[in-house]
Amino acid sequence: MNTLFKLTFPLKSELMTTVRLAAGGVCALKGLDIDTAEDCKVCITESLLLLKHRGYSSANVLFSEGGALSVRIEGEGEGEEEGTPEDEISLALLSALLGEVGTTERNGKLFSISFEIGTGK
Amino acid sequence: MTESELFQRYRETGDLALRNLIAEKYLFIAAILAKKFVGRGVEYDDLYQVASLALIKGIDRFDERKGLKFSTFITPTITGEIKNYFRDRSRLVHLPRKVSELRASVRKTADALTEKLGKKPTAGEIAEALGVSEEDVLLSAEAGGIVSLDKPSEDSDMNYYDVIPADNDVFEKIETRDAVLSAVKELSETERQLVKFRFSEELSQVETARRMGVSQMYVSRMERKILEKLRERLKKSMA
Repeated sequence: MNTLFKLTFPLKSELMTTVRLAAGGVCALKGLDIDTAEDCKVCITESLLLLKHRGYSSANVLFSEGGALSVRIEGEGEGEEEGTPEDEISLALLSALLGEVGTTERNGKLFSISFEIGTGK
Repeated sequence: MTESELFQRYRETGDLALRNLIAEKYLFIAAILAKKFVGRGVEYDDLYQVASLALIKGIDRFDERKGLKFSTFITPTITGEIKNYFRDRSRLVHLPRKVSELRASVRKTADALTEKLGKKPTAGEIAEALGVSEEDVLLSAEAGGIVSLDKPSEDSDMNYYDVIPADNDVFEKIETRDAVLSAVKELSETERQLVKFRFSEELSQVETARRMGVSQMYVSRMERKILEKLRERLKKSMA
């Protein structure tokens, strides 16, 4: 699978729009329709919030292409916090929009979220 | 009473007071999910209404004996309803004219291309059809977010209301105002009342509905119709 694009940035709320715009650009590059692109942006935002709630100071978002667009969002830093009760809703929302979501843990804490979206050109 | 006991009792008795209690307890999920979908051209109030109705329907369908938590069950239900609503969505956005026009054109073209191509179009295909850049199409999709004018701007202590420059195009404003006033005069009394509440007094749809003694959904639908009417009349008068 080829990495198309990688973003590394501090997990700050004011940067979310920038990430969403970049994600929109990648979705367009990959030829996803606009509704799927919107869903992809929501899923990336939710994933970043999950990591932010766990205390990660920055995050990497990696876009790769195979048949579909693959997105992996991972935390950087310690990630020492427990998350919030709303996280359960975020995870359910990811499942509702994507069907299948992969997660990994590091030191017993959520570390990465990955999913595939769209079928590509 | 635990979540499971609450649902069990409601399932056994069908007591509406219990259903209302459950709805109030979980209404925050509807609010959270509605917020996630703001920015796609539909007002938060509308999304919240759709999400709340989905919540109530979901309460009736939830079976606690299956071992699922209610929040896990209801999130996809509400998300599905919101996505269905987008298919029949309103394009009511309060954006600068050029942005809102482009956004409307993008949606219209997307629908037309979907029909023509037999699949949902990409941003590139929409951009080509509209003769604008792909970036403009993407930016217009980002432009639906509502930002409070009272929110402090990012680089100073002043809020957006203080720092956004005034529109100095007085003649255009006068011309537009006259055209709008003349178009509004042709509306029925009820429609004018709605316009007054929503656009003169700037009340929310919920408050407007309360004052008019109707549902918020009714206000939303009526508002959409009025705006369509006004748009048509303004097009004619300003052509």
